[in-house]
Amino acid sequence: MMWGEYSIGLLLVLVSGVIGFAALAIEIDDLHRLLLLDLVEISSLGIIALLGTDLAEALVLPGLTVGIAELLALSQIYITKERLKDKPVKGLNIEVIRKADAPVVISAFLVVYGLILSGFTGGGVAGLGLVFFFMSRGYQEDLNMLEMASGISWAIWIFAFFVFMFLPQYWFVALMCAAVGIVLKVTVKMSLVGTMWGEVRE
Amino acid sequence: MSSIGGVPFYILEFGDELVYFTPYTITLFLLALVFTVLVILSRPERQVDIAFGGDAYTTKQILKDEMRFRRFMSIACGLASMGAMVTGDIFNFTLFTAMVGITNVGIVAAVKSPHVQNAAYQYGLVALSATVPLFGAAAVYAASTGSLSMIELARGTLPAVPIIAKALLVIGVVGEGMAPFYAAKAEMFRAPGAPYVIMCSLSSLLIFLRVVEVVMLG
Repeated sequence: MMWGEYSIGLLLVLVSGVIGFAALAIEIDDLHRLLLLDLVEISSLGIIALLGTDLAEALVLPGLTVGIAELLALSQIYITKERLKDKPVKGLNIEVIRKADAPVVISAFLVVYGLILSGFTGGGVAGLGLVFFFMSRGYQEDLNMLEMASGISWAIWIFAFFVFMFLPQYWFVALMCAAVGIVLKVTVKMSLVGTMWGEVRE
Repeated sequence: MSSIGGVPFYILEFGDELVYFTPYTITLFLLALVFTVLVILSRPERQVDIAFGGDAYTTKQILKDEMRFRRFMSIACGLASMGAMVTGDIFNFTLFTAMVGITNVGIVAAVKSPHVQNAAYQYGLVALSATVPLFGAAAVYAASTGSLSMIELARGTLPAVPIIAKALLVIGVVGEGMAPFYAAKAEMFRAPGAPYVIMCSLSSLLIFLRVVEVVMLG
């Protein structure tokens, strides 16, 4: 068959990419262009995800990471370029979220679901829950403990890799260590991203 | 295996990540290595502004913090270029190329001049959008041949790589700082500090030389 599922998917992603690029060409505001670029970036992840194999999952993650890194770098430049450094931002000031109990319920659900999923995806989901919680509460706290937890869980993850390489008969222990390590690591890292934005660092 | 790079005399297989050295890639690798060492050792140039029609001139001061950040970014850029030179995996090549794009922005981002900041931002937008054809190319490579390994592609036993994948790969590399998009980058070079700024040009040049080899595979 000439038009398989892959071809149709590819066509759709390419069309959405072209629409994104057209919007990019029309838009002249710098900040809006940055936001549109993030949208265009998603179509590249779409092309990779269309592979539909384990390999695709392994390739989407670095692709996403590179995209986020470039976005962070560019937004930093934007802040310096437009001299926005003098206007510090403290969390999301949305009254509706701040007063209600819903954020607690939603983030608790996300964290529990993330822990059940475990691994990289679980870390992402649980981290998202924490980000949402911190953002809605305007959390102000010393972040050193979180950073330390992130470091220790990374060490557990690396330790698991060494077990895989040198003591492969204990693969199950290593698998559990790696799963727990990475879930903690990603959760903590994402919640740090959620809390450290906009703050003024001395 | 016959390709533009010659017969590889060393293939390091590390799981499915592989690295290989041909006479061509090792030359490019050594060039990147030598220049990275130069960047580590050298002190930044101090740009001189001459007042027109008189004898007066001023030397721009480069603060230590700024210099250290830019040196770090140049070293990171050198490492990314070295990685792109020797990797034997299409996707890793695209990742290294994207990383060269980020570090190129980083090299000039610490400069306080508004001209340079603006140019770096515009170039960053182009570099960011260039990751779409880059990753797209890698995905189409994997989808059409079932392999991302350059060694496998060069053997010629896999299905041919569609021309669209190669075109996307070249467009992506071009977007990371080559010919038609170079205008934004030229403005970036008003940033003072010679060895670091030259790293931007050198890394793009090396990446372009490597993509020529990659495109001729498969």
